[in-house]
Amino acid sequence: MISLRGVSLIYPNGVRALDCVDLDIGKGEFVFLVGHSGTGKSSLMRLLYREVAPTHGQITVDGIRVDRLARRRVPALRRRLGVVFQDYKLLSDKTVWENVAFALQVTGAHTRDVRRQVPRVLDLVGLAHKSRMFPSELSGGEQQRTAIARALVNNPKLLLCDEPSGNLDPANTTEIMELLRRINLKGTTVIVATHNQAVVDRMRRRVVRLDQGRIITDEERGYYFLGLGQDQILSG
Amino acid sequence: MDWGRIRFFLGEVARNFTRNAGMQATAIGTVAVTIVLLGAFLYVRASVAHLGSDVFNQIVISVYLNSSASAAQEDTLRSAFARDPRISGVQFVSKAQGLAELRRRMKGEVDTSLLTENPLPDMFRVHVRNAQEVPAVARSIAKMPGVQKALYGQEVVARLLQLAALGRRIGIAVIVLFLLVAGIIISNTIRLTVYARRREISIMQLVGATNMYIRLPFICEGLLAGLAGAAIAVGALAILRASLVPKIASALPWLQMNTFSIDLSSLVLQLVAVGAAVGVISSWIAVGRYLRT
Repeated sequence: MISLRGVSLIYPNGVRALDCVDLDIGKGEFVFLVGHSGTGKSSLMRLLYREVAPTHGQITVDGIRVDRLARRRVPALRRRLGVVFQDYKLLSDKTVWENVAFALQVTGAHTRDVRRQVPRVLDLVGLAHKSRMFPSELSGGEQQRTAIARALVNNPKLLLCDEPSGNLDPANTTEIMELLRRINLKGTTVIVATHNQAVVDRMRRRVVRLDQGRIITDEERGYYFLGLGQDQILSG
Repeated sequence: MDWGRIRFFLGEVARNFTRNAGMQATAIGTVAVTIVLLGAFLYVRASVAHLGSDVFNQIVISVYLNSSASAAQEDTLRSAFARDPRISGVQFVSKAQGLAELRRRMKGEVDTSLLTENPLPDMFRVHVRNAQEVPAVARSIAKMPGVQKALYGQEVVARLLQLAALGRRIGIAVIVLFLLVAGIIISNTIRLTVYARRREISIMQLVGATNMYIRLPFICEGLLAGLAGAAIAVGALAILRASLVPKIASALPWLQMNTFSIDLSSLVLQLVAVGAAVGVISSWIAVGRYLRT
């Protein structure tokens, strides 16, 4: 699904966000990207949906060579993946239904597809009964679920979540993670960048740890803190 | 036809258009003023083109003959004029006729009875088909044998031609300036809308809307502003024409404005096209700048 080979990203201001990163993520995987703020988690995400282009290296997402993608082909890539952010990025003057439908409408979908797909994803995230509400009338968790519904409405094979629980309390965080787990079970590859220890430790999924732009560890069924996993294995 | 899609799109355009009503009104007003100027200019030019040819058609070359010119030389000149395709008509004025005309013109101002001798030479009045050719024709006539002088009021004609050219240039400059101003104002209005909608635009980009799709509502907004301005301008021009043209015609009857020959529908079409073009081009530039960064 995703492959990075020797990927470096240096921003115009000279900051080296990523340094020679190699990473492979298979179809249907659930991967946490962890690390301190400013270690390149978000930069890695931004490379995957081509918000930025790498300075060096090759990136392939779902068969598309993202590093040499022409500007006019970027929309085609974006339609094959969904992105969710910490701040939800919902439109406050549109209802839940309109926010989700927006993603289809602006990509030229037919009205009958909008009518079919929007209820499906609203059902999936459990917001069918609030589809006429505005974002300001929803809890943080519900807003994030709306954002996830919008990201999923195109039926993407890959869902990128950058700090999805950053603004949420523990209960809502659990809710969102449960939703992401279910989405993953349906076959969607999910990548979650987070520094929420509880989330990572409870889910026990693959953990890719970044530090200063490099991948320092990559564990199956990992924990948030390095070493904790091995300790458990040793003691267990 | 997918009416849901069309309704969604039109809804977006309408929301854009009404978001900065004040700025939008300014943009429309500027387009309207520009197009009124342009329309008045084109209208006046079309009617004055005719007027100008009238004035210039009245230019006559007075060819004064030497007092010693022979009848043979006179005939040679006559046939030379007849052969010259640039010359449309020739009139011979003998000394005696010339004196009679002079007496008539000077009557009351000068005591013409004092003129005991006839000081005038024989002359031809030469009419030229095209005002622009008057100087060249006069020069060639002056070189012919038996001709003393060929006069046509050189300074006046040159001045008139200069004035006409200057007027045209100033008019064009003013219109270009106004078109630029209108373009800048529309472009700024669109930029405000773009700015107000930057969140929506970033989400559109995120979910994979093409730049063309993102651009289209803004282009339509510019087009609407341009068309609205043009419509107001055409209305204003129609009122101006209905109220002013008869007044001018009665106040300056010698002007003989040939307004019937102007193709009004094509003029209106041109003005509307200019409005639409200003709107589309300036909004295209405004959004393009934003999408590239």
